[in-house]
Amino acid sequence: MKQIGEPILTADRITLAFGGVTALNAISFGIRRHEILAMIGPNGAGKTSMLNVINGFYHPQAGTITWKGETRRRMRPYHAAAQGIARTFQNVALFKGMTTLDNIMTGRLLHMRRNFLWQAIHFGPAEQEELAHRARVERIIDFLEIQAIRKTPVGRLPYGLQKRVELGRALAMEPELLLLDEPMAGMNVEEKEDMCRFILDVSDEFGTTIALIEHDMGVVMDISDRVIVLDYGRKIADGPPDEVRSSPEVIAAYLGEER
Amino acid sequence: MNFFVLEVLIGGLLTGVLYALVALGFVLIFKASAVFNFAQGSMCLFAALALVRLMEVLPVALALLSAAAIMIGLAFAIERLVLRPLVNQEAIILFMATIGITFFLDGFGQSVFGSEVYTLDLGIPKDPLILFDGVIPGGILVNEFDLWAAVAAGVLVAVLAVFFQRTRIGRALRAVADDHQAALSVGIPLRHIWVIVWSVAGLVALVAGIIWGSKLGVQFSIALVALKALPVLMLGGLTSVPGAIVGGLIVGAGEKLSEVFLGPFLGGGIENWFAYVLALLFLLVRPQGLFGERIIERV
Repeated sequence: MKQIGEPILTADRITLAFGGVTALNAISFGIRRHEILAMIGPNGAGKTSMLNVINGFYHPQAGTITWKGETRRRMRPYHAAAQGIARTFQNVALFKGMTTLDNIMTGRLLHMRRNFLWQAIHFGPAEQEELAHRARVERIIDFLEIQAIRKTPVGRLPYGLQKRVELGRALAMEPELLLLDEPMAGMNVEEKEDMCRFILDVSDEFGTTIALIEHDMGVVMDISDRVIVLDYGRKIADGPPDEVRSSPEVIAAYLGEER
Repeated sequence: MNFFVLEVLIGGLLTGVLYALVALGFVLIFKASAVFNFAQGSMCLFAALALVRLMEVLPVALALLSAAAIMIGLAFAIERLVLRPLVNQEAIILFMATIGITFFLDGFGQSVFGSEVYTLDLGIPKDPLILFDGVIPGGILVNEFDLWAAVAAGVLVAVLAVFFQRTRIGRALRAVADDHQAALSVGIPLRHIWVIVWSVAGLVALVAGIIWGSKLGVQFSIALVALKALPVLMLGGLTSVPGAIVGGLIVGAGEKLSEVFLGPFLGGGIENWFAYVLALLFLLVRPQGLFGERIIERV
């Protein structure tokens, strides 16, 4: 059984505005080591903006992010990646012209140490390194059960499989924190079940901390250890799934208030 | 056998190498950012102008190094001032930005370095050369300068091929071209990649500028040589380095051969339109070019 530990990432009063629209309003929360944290909320609540702040696509006007004890105002996406934060996107952002294998290999780029002169010669240490990375990628492919599409350009794959490849690319980075933006959007029941299983397995086997955004309440309640609810850029609930489900404010946000 | 054919063919192939050199600059940037860099021709002109004027005050080697430094500086400036504000925009918007760069470079280059026709002489011999005199009766007449240019282009291509195909930069480049956001998320530093690619394209422009400048004189028409690179790209495919080479060779050899052998029947001047008609045919039959990536789209 995994042990949920101290916060690995803390967001402190994050405020983000686009022009006059406040997307995030002084939001604070922590993501604890090894947990699966779900972020839910109606459309436009600021969930994706929050992920974008965490991995450095957006820079908040106020507030700080503390990642593994280091506090910063703004993160750059490639620093976030180098420090162990991987993510997937709401509308699948894969390299469409590349094969499944190559896509997942890009996740290894940051782990490649040999400089390019060695690689140009493609011999000796560089070759060994390439092989080692390749072996890891093959393990991920086995894990996600996508052997059959290894050599298929991902642009040709159905949506559900593309999402799986995207997860594979994020896993190849061996992240400590995995951010998943609607990993199950647009999937059928069977695909959703598979994806749930992969997420739980990643959490159990690799101990990866996971923060995910999801609209399917059944899924959220089943797999998450903790749920945060956002509404109009504010945090309105934070706690275990059962508690959040019965919170009157959450119900009001989802179903509308009785007047 | 008629050795005249061979002579025309070789002359054509050598010219083709020079087309390929310009096309190469386009391919590099297209591969790395899915942007068609309209400014490539102007970069050739800019580099050649810079070199020619620097050579008036500096020894050749120093002038070459300075011109190279200027092109790298230009890459930094383009990344900072043009590309960085446009991250994650549509390719067409970046394309429009390169049109802007074109006008800027044409105007800026000519106002700083002057707009006269300058002679560029790096001391490469330009004498006609007779090859294989003993083997073939009469030998084969080639231009020695073209031969050197072809050698330079060949070396450049080999270096680039190794750099882009066999290193991890190659995979990073393809990733950046496909999707900026995703590339950033796996930790590819977009800015560095862009600076690297535009620097390399700038250096290729310098080499092309030197060669074309020595042939035609350094003047505005160098920027227009880029137009000849367009059919080469249509033939070879926008994403393929070998494609640019093969495309260049086909266009070069094709236009010379057709001029000589079809000219008498069609009234000459074939050299001027041959490449474009060939490109048109390719667009109809094989729009991705000989070596380009197939365009995959799920409907």
